[in-house]
Amino acid sequence: MAAHRAQWKGHIKIGEISCGVGLYTAASTSDRITFHTINKATGNRVRREFVDSETEETVDRDEQIKGFDIGDGQYIMIDPEEVTAVIPDSDKMLEIEAFLSCSDVDDIYFDKPYYLLPTDDVSVDAFSGLRDALKEANVTAIARTVLFRRMRTVLIRAHGRGLIATTLNFDYEIRSSEEAFKEMPEIKVEGEMLDLAKHIIGTKKGEFDPAKFDDRYETALAELVKAKAEGKTLPKPKPVKVSKPNDLLKALRESAGVGEAKAKKAANANARKPRNTSGRKSTTRTAHKKAS
Amino acid sequence: MAPRRPYWRGYLKLSLVTCPVAMSPATSESGKVRFHTLNKATGNRVVSQYVDAVTGKAVKDENEAKGYERGENDFVMLTDDELESVALETVRTIDIETFVPRESIEWVYLETPHYLMPNDKIGNEAFAVIREAMKAEKVLGISRVVIGRRERAVVLEPRGEGIVVWTLRFGDEVRPEKEYFQDIETKSDPKTVAAIKRMIKPRLEKWSPSMVTDPIQESLLTLIASKKKALKPANKAKGKKDASDQPSNVINIMDALKKSVQADLKGRKKAG
Repeated sequence: MAAHRAQWKGHIKIGEISCGVGLYTAASTSDRITFHTINKATGNRVRREFVDSETEETVDRDEQIKGFDIGDGQYIMIDPEEVTAVIPDSDKMLEIEAFLSCSDVDDIYFDKPYYLLPTDDVSVDAFSGLRDALKEANVTAIARTVLFRRMRTVLIRAHGRGLIATTLNFDYEIRSSEEAFKEMPEIKVEGEMLDLAKHIIGTKKGEFDPAKFDDRYETALAELVKAKAEGKTLPKPKPVKVSKPNDLLKALRESAGVGEAKAKKAANANARKPRNTSGRKSTTRTAHKKAS
Repeated sequence: MAPRRPYWRGYLKLSLVTCPVAMSPATSESGKVRFHTLNKATGNRVVSQYVDAVTGKAVKDENEAKGYERGENDFVMLTDDELESVALETVRTIDIETFVPRESIEWVYLETPHYLMPNDKIGNEAFAVIREAMKAEKVLGISRVVIGRRERAVVLEPRGEGIVVWTLRFGDEVRPEKEYFQDIETKSDPKTVAAIKRMIKPRLEKWSPSMVTDPIQESLLTLIASKKKALKPANKAKGKKDASDQPSNVINIMDALKKSVQADLKGRKKAG
């Protein structure tokens, strides 16, 4: 484990049981930079510089200070020491406050995942005990501590031989889904439409391994750049055909290949599909049960 | 709150069914206490500006262009319109290719949640059909979409009347867990497990946003409020509009600050 460096070291505590743990970054974000910003007039690259908004003079880093906007162009200056002073001293203790059933976790709050490992041999018993207790009870643990200069809530769950701690976003950083979707009309979907859509889903059930996903953007972009450099006219994106409410049932039937064996050709054949598809539907249902 | 401006507009597609949709992030920066950078000497805001890397002169906004590096200092410039021509359907269409059982996507891959909804009433029904069928089948949809000039794997999860779209981390961004976990003892002492399980039950709670409050933000607001109060006497001569003589003033300012900063949150609490 020497190869990896812990982001944080401390203890997990529940009741009288505690164990030393290290927190290791489980995911990093890589930015693939495909573009540079260019000065069109000269063709040169540009760089960023920090300037005074009034005098337009360059302001070096040690000449900068944080300020809070209180309106009317007025700012309250805040020294870094003053900010530090409001951060409680870290007791390096992840004390478990509560447990949540795994199905009750609202994943919208997820921020960043960290691998949790026992830091020493004496911690192994408590660590593996906590891991297996969480696993057997199918719960996650909620704990808070000062992490990265903030009082952060983390969600701890068993994962394989270890534990994963996910930092959670603060309440004010998340828009609730109820709020976001409240303007949406309630539409009941039932009968043939629902059955057809379920059937289509059934034909597309499979597995997915995110680790094997491949970003094709850069390749496509390179082709575009090549075309432009060669002076070719760039293709216009094809207009997308939207399914109108009147055509929805037809689109679903064609997608599901209902009524005809040559389902794939159905898209351009405008022949009416037979309405009675009940026999087919029941077979699909059985297939689903097996699959799930 | 005014409806958010969607930051992605396009189409949701299941086989031959297509509907116009809009997507916006589920996360928001607006509730956070934000500091600006000031020039210590003048008290003015410090802004970042583009300067030409060779001439050192400021670059006007209209002269900023995106350049794709072909060779050293040799750029092909592309406008936003031209970028739309990139030959990938996923620039504007989320075509659901695969469905997987719920819970089958490792949490560690979930990166950023977004809310997806119809962008025109013409698509309401098609959207609802896709959403309800996913609910009925207890599945998540898997697709791809270009966000921020990268093609991202996304997971679609029906929620309420809408759909949550998660961008997934790239494989090379998730560190191999084996390297971390392989040496951990697999066995555990049944007595320890039983002792911890006994502690789980009385501490079992329902999820609540009160579990993710930010006490340090509260302290920062208090700090700002007290500094604002200290500023008051200087400006006071002309204004008597506020009852600033009362000892509770710090609290009043505090409330005002909180109100402005947490307007977002408040709206939500009312709704929920």
